[in-house]
Amino acid sequence: MNDDSVIRDFVNRSIKLDPGLDNNGWTDFGKYPVSGNGFGGEITGFGVNGVDLVDYSLSRTSSCPTAEVKVVDELVVTEKLGAKVGKESFKKRKAQNPKVVAEELNRDKRMKGDSEEESKVTEVNNSNSSTTSNNNNNNNNKETSGDSVKENSKASGAQKQDYIHVRARRGQATDSHSLAERVRREKISERMKYLQDLVPGCNKITGKAGMLDEIINYVQSLQRQVEFLSMKLAAVNPRLDFNIENLFAKEMFSANTAGFPIGTSSEMANSSAYLPLNSLQQMISSCGLDMGMNSSDISLQRSRSAPVSDAFLDTTCFTQAQPSSSPWETDLQNLYNVEFNQTRPVTFPPQSFTGILEANNLKMEM
Amino acid sequence: MRPPSSFKQEFFKKWVVGLQYYGTSSRDMNILERKKAIKLSADVAMASARDGKTYWSRYLIAKASKEDDCISKNLVKNILGNEYERLTKPSSSSSSIHQCSSSKWIRSKNIVRRSCNMRRIRKHAQKHVLASSIIAKRMVKKRTQVLKALVPGGESMDEFCLLEETIDYLLSLQAQVDVMHKLVNASGLPS
Repeated sequence: MNDDSVIRDFVNRSIKLDPGLDNNGWTDFGKYPVSGNGFGGEITGFGVNGVDLVDYSLSRTSSCPTAEVKVVDELVVTEKLGAKVGKESFKKRKAQNPKVVAEELNRDKRMKGDSEEESKVTEVNNSNSSTTSNNNNNNNNKETSGDSVKENSKASGAQKQDYIHVRARRGQATDSHSLAERVRREKISERMKYLQDLVPGCNKITGKAGMLDEIINYVQSLQRQVEFLSMKLAAVNPRLDFNIENLFAKEMFSANTAGFPIGTSSEMANSSAYLPLNSLQQMISSCGLDMGMNSSDISLQRSRSAPVSDAFLDTTCFTQAQPSSSPWETDLQNLYNVEFNQTRPVTFPPQSFTGILEANNLKMEM
Repeated sequence: MRPPSSFKQEFFKKWVVGLQYYGTSSRDMNILERKKAIKLSADVAMASARDGKTYWSRYLIAKASKEDDCISKNLVKNILGNEYERLTKPSSSSSSIHQCSSSKWIRSKNIVRRSCNMRRIRKHAQKHVLASSIIAKRMVKKRTQVLKALVPGGESMDEFCLLEETIDYLLSLQAQVDVMHKLVNASGLPS
C-alpha cells in the first residue's frame, strides 16, 4: 500500500499547493521557503507578482549569544501578500536553531504592534538573550548590547507580514534573484525526489538527466499500454456487454473497498462455470444446514437433494464448499452416504443420472 | 483529497458511461475507429475524474471537445454530463489566459536565454572547464522538451509546473491502466 500513501500524499500536496499553478506558476516566487544557515537580510515587499520587487530592505542582524552559537544569522524573506491572497501561509523548514525562530516570532509580533510596544519587546529581548533586533517601523536604530550590526530600515510596518525563512550558507549569494533561484531549484529537486519514488526502478539512478529519461520511459510505456488495452478491447468486443461489466465493476470495487469476500470475486472473474458452481454450492450448503438442523426427517431431504448430493459426494466438493469441516459434518456425510447408498437403487434409476453427474464433474473440475 | 481507489471508481463510472454511449452508437465502426473511441472515452473519463483541477486534464478535455467528428464530441458531452459547461468553458478561458501569459513568459525567457547564451559564449571562450556542466544542462533541457511533448498541455509550462503535472498525470495513468487491465481481464480475454 505504499502506492496508496504516495497518492494520498500527493493529492494532499496538490490541493494545498499554489494558487500559482493556475496562474503562471511564477507568481509564487515570493512564497518559496528556503532555509539555510548563515547571514542574511530581510526582504520585504515581494509583490504578488513576485518578480517586481516593490521595495526591499536588507536588514542584517548578527547575533552573538555568548555560549550558544557562534554566528547564527537569519535570512528572512518576508513577503507582503496582496489583498487577494488572504491566507497566510506560514512555512518554516529546517529550523535549525529554535532560538532564532523564537526571536523571529517576536519580531513579527512587534511589526504588527506599535512602536512603544516594540521597544519594550526589544528590551525584553535584549535582556533575555542579549541579541539584537531591528525595528522596522520608525528608523530608530538602537545599538544594543553585544556587537550588533544594523543597517536598514525602511519598511512598511503596519502590514501583515508573511515571511519565509531563507538560510544561505556561507559564501552564497543573498540577493533576491539568486535566493529565488535557489528556492526554485530546491522545490524542483523535491519534486524530482517525489517522482523518483513514483517511477519504478528510478531509485538507483542519480543525476537529473537519467531520472528524466526514466520518467519519460515510464510515461511512454503507460501511454502505450493504454493504447494497447483499448486496441484489445476494441478488437475483441464489437459491442461490450455492459450488464456484465456493471455487475463486475460493482463486485470489483466493493471487493477492493468494502471488504467483500475476495474469493468470490476472483472466482467470478476466473471461472466460466461460475453460475452452476454457485448454485450447486448454495444448494449444498442449504441442504447441509437443513440436515444439521433437523436430522429427524432426513428422508424427506434426501428425496429433494439427492442428485446434487450425489455430485458432490463423488467429487468431494462438499469439503471445498464448506471448508469449516467440523467432525459432525463428516459424520453427517458418512451417514448421508450410507443412507444414499441404501436408497439410491430404489428411488433413482442410475442410468438417468450418470450423464448429468459426469457433466457436473467436468464442470467442477474446470 | 480522496483516496486513490475512489479515484479509480470515479474514473470507471465515467468510463462506463462513455462506453455505453459508444456501444449504442458504434455498430458500423471499424476496429481503428472503435479503438480510438475507446481510448478517447478513457482519456476523457480520466481527465474528468480528476475534476479539472490540473492543467493536463483541462487540456485533454478541451482537446477532446474540439475534435471535429460528432461522435467523439457527443461522447465527451455524454461523459462529462452536466459538468460539460463547467469543465469546457472555464478551461478554455483559463487556458487562453494561460496561453497568452505563457507566451509572454516564453518571449521574455527567450530574451533571457539569448543574453545568457552570449554571456556563456564569452565565458566559454575563457574557460573550458565549464564544458561538462554545459553538456549536462543541455541533456536535461533536451529531456525536458521530450517530457513536455508527452504530458498533455506541457508545451506551455515551466519546469516546476511540468514536474507537478507529470506527477499527477503519472498517477492518473497508473490508475487508468489498472482499471483497463481489470476490464480486459473481466471481459474474458486471455491476457
